[in-house]
Amino acid sequence: MFFHIVLERNMQLHPRYFGRNLRDNLVSKLMKDVEGTCSGRHGFVVAVTGIENVGKGLIRDGTGFVTFPVKYQCVVFRPFKGEILEAVVTMVNKMGFFAEAGPVQIFVSNHLIPDDMEFQSGDIPNYTTSDGSVKIQKDSEVRLKIIGTRVDATEIFCIGTIKDDFLGVINDPTAI
Amino acid sequence: MAQMSLATDSPSSVHSSSSDDFAAFLDGTLDGNSSSDREEEIENDAESARVKRHKVESIKEIEASTSKGPVQKNLVVAEESLKVDICTHPGSFGNMCICCGQKLDGESGVTFGYIHKGLRLHDQEISRLRNTDMKDLLCHKKLYLVLDLDHTLLNSTLLMDLNSEEVHLNTQTDSLKDVSKGSLFKLEYMHMMTKLRPFVRTFLKEASKMFEMYIYTMGDRPYALEMAKLLDPGGEYFTSKVISRDDGTQKHQKGLDVLLGQESAVLILDDTENAWMKHKDNLILMERYHFFASSCRQFGFNCKSLAESKSDESEADGALAKILKVLKRVHHTFFDEHQEDLVDRDVRQVLKTIRSEVLSGCVLVFSRIVHSALPALQKMAEQLGAICLTELDPSVTHVVATDVGTEKSRWAVKEHKFLVHPRWIEATNYFWQKQPEEDFFVKKKE
Repeated sequence: MFFHIVLERNMQLHPRYFGRNLRDNLVSKLMKDVEGTCSGRHGFVVAVTGIENVGKGLIRDGTGFVTFPVKYQCVVFRPFKGEILEAVVTMVNKMGFFAEAGPVQIFVSNHLIPDDMEFQSGDIPNYTTSDGSVKIQKDSEVRLKIIGTRVDATEIFCIGTIKDDFLGVINDPTAI
Repeated sequence: MAQMSLATDSPSSVHSSSSDDFAAFLDGTLDGNSSSDREEEIENDAESARVKRHKVESIKEIEASTSKGPVQKNLVVAEESLKVDICTHPGSFGNMCICCGQKLDGESGVTFGYIHKGLRLHDQEISRLRNTDMKDLLCHKKLYLVLDLDHTLLNSTLLMDLNSEEVHLNTQTDSLKDVSKGSLFKLEYMHMMTKLRPFVRTFLKEASKMFEMYIYTMGDRPYALEMAKLLDPGGEYFTSKVISRDDGTQKHQKGLDVLLGQESAVLILDDTENAWMKHKDNLILMERYHFFASSCRQFGFNCKSLAESKSDESEADGALAKILKVLKRVHHTFFDEHQEDLVDRDVRQVLKTIRSEVLSGCVLVFSRIVHSALPALQKMAEQLGAICLTELDPSVTHVVATDVGTEKSRWAVKEHKFLVHPRWIEATNYFWQKQPEEDFFVKKKE
């Protein structure tokens, strides 16, 4: 799920950035620092959308660095257990398939793929129903349900399932 | 969700008014999630089933103390729900069970980092996958083939190790834009130069029809992936089948435990026998490919490298071409000779049989071979099907010696038997074919 939230961060700035561009420098450093990172609490920071306010800087003794408390608005993405997500399949193998929803890596084990779908090896490995009507392969888009999440410093891992009503392939790359 | 869409529609205006509530809402949700998983999970089917089971069990206990009739029925119910929600955790992805999503402690099972980061599987699941995969593979008439990189399929050297006689190679490297056509590549960013072994492209193409192929190298992963790109620019053979030393379970050893294939169907092509201590029966030993001088020196050879003498292995008759023939024979024997019960067949047995036919009919006597080298040579000859004697005998066909002056050597010359150098056995062992004795006659020292 996406959220638009306000976060706070203490930014340390080198004295060389002081001057009339201080604010701009602060913002670009903030973007560089936080965009693309993860926290277990908030999930993946997709983009900084604005600065709420910049607090008073505090000069560090000895180094000359200044710490600014910055409140900023940002869009975060965090998957939840039980959430339905749409994802793109990146790899299919005999263990199941891997899919991506933005920065999130999702694994759907073959235990959680409907029993009527079977693995077919070959040039393009895939899972296919016995009548051949549904096929999951690389670049397929699937709708899946998250049953477990774990957030690292830079990555989010999820376990997904498509063994439920209304889950599975939502488009077929070969049909285009 | 409603809040979210509002926020995206007009971020600036909505934000100031609702952000506080919203942040609070978010904090609440997330706190609940991190501190006590319970609340969230109760909505989960599996969890609620477990709760139900607890209830059933507690009822069961109460009833057991009062009457015996309904207990049976409840027991059955309890067992059924047990089946549904106890997960054996067959493996993990990012430390979560791949079946139920529950968080697990990391360090159990075998890592499969070469397939995907963070993937681990347990022994039971591995053997289940191996079994299903085996059936599938046999249907396609394929076996597994594990290939080593360095000295088997190619030879690499650091750019700074090129000596003065090899510098001319710098001008002869092939373009990296279309690697499928070239064989000598300079990988500037890795400070390396790589030469593919002659015939390797044909070899891979032919072998891919009979085998599911893996790369298994003692190099690190970036190197292994880079080499895989050179060998397989189209990604036809080795996608997520590149195993490097980072993936192995034992230091300085290669093992088939990280392979999702049954050992009885795996062939290994490697130049280093010692890396495969546990799987020598699967191994086809390769003659080392030394293109660069640094690689020769590494193994203690003082001869000129192929690059220095501006030559190369033969394309049509080199080691890979010869081994391909062996592979074809093994494959043919495995699938065609006995028609029934494919699953029980063992490629190691096939390999052993074929090996033992190479020198069958030869009777060898060794003469003045260094003691430390003798047992290995003898074992090699016996595996190839030769009979080794210690004393001369009319049945002897070959005398193996390094010197023409010994008594046995003189006997061989007199009796018109073959007098061959030990290298004859080694070469035969590499190429799985009796080598012409003429090429290995022991000559008088001048």
